[in-house]
Amino acid sequence: MTTRPRLRDPATFVTGIVAVALFVVLVTVFLGAGFEGAVGYSSDANITATIGYALFGLMNLAGESAPASEGFLAAFEIIDVVLVAALVGAVMLATRDDEGGDGE
Amino acid sequence: MAVAVEYYLLLSAAVFCTGVFGVLTRENALMFLISVELMLNSANINLVAFSHFYGNLTGQVFALFVMALAAAEVAVGLGIVLVLYRNFGDIDVRDATTMRW
Repeated sequence: MTTRPRLRDPATFVTGIVAVALFVVLVTVFLGAGFEGAVGYSSDANITATIGYALFGLMNLAGESAPASEGFLAAFEIIDVVLVAALVGAVMLATRDDEGGDGE
Repeated sequence: MAVAVEYYLLLSAAVFCTGVFGVLTRENALMFLISVELMLNSANINLVAFSHFYGNLTGQVFALFVMALAAAEVAVGLGIVLVLYRNFGDIDVRDATTMRW
């Protein structure tokens, strides 16, 4: 059963004030930073294809009109290993100890 | 046509503060996980907004990696919620006050 946390509840009032105060501080900083206009992408750039080239570190094949990006081949492989580790960890946590399972 | 980068930052700050409030007040472990996801997604909004701001695709590619990490975190988190329910009969995060049982 889920209930939503209420700001008027005395138990959550202080944390609510903290969250709203954090938001006010962030808004003050952001609005006072004075950003210039966005550079944006050129209209003939293929964003999705360029993301694919960047994932495999093939930015030299992306063409002249593609936006600049770094290559991410090493990070791509590392995230692969992390996802497999998380999957194995979830299966290990979910396996019941008393029944054994395939880990036994 | 393009939205100014300040508004992306305001949206991101609102989502992040919602996540912080949820993490500090929620007792249900699943709602706790969803609040953590909110904070991760506010970081994603910032990455994509500044990717457009600088005309550089690095931020968008990095947002994909943050999503993959969020998926890994949810996989492990749901496993922990399962163990929590099995040991305490409830998924109240305040039940697990020690690191062993």
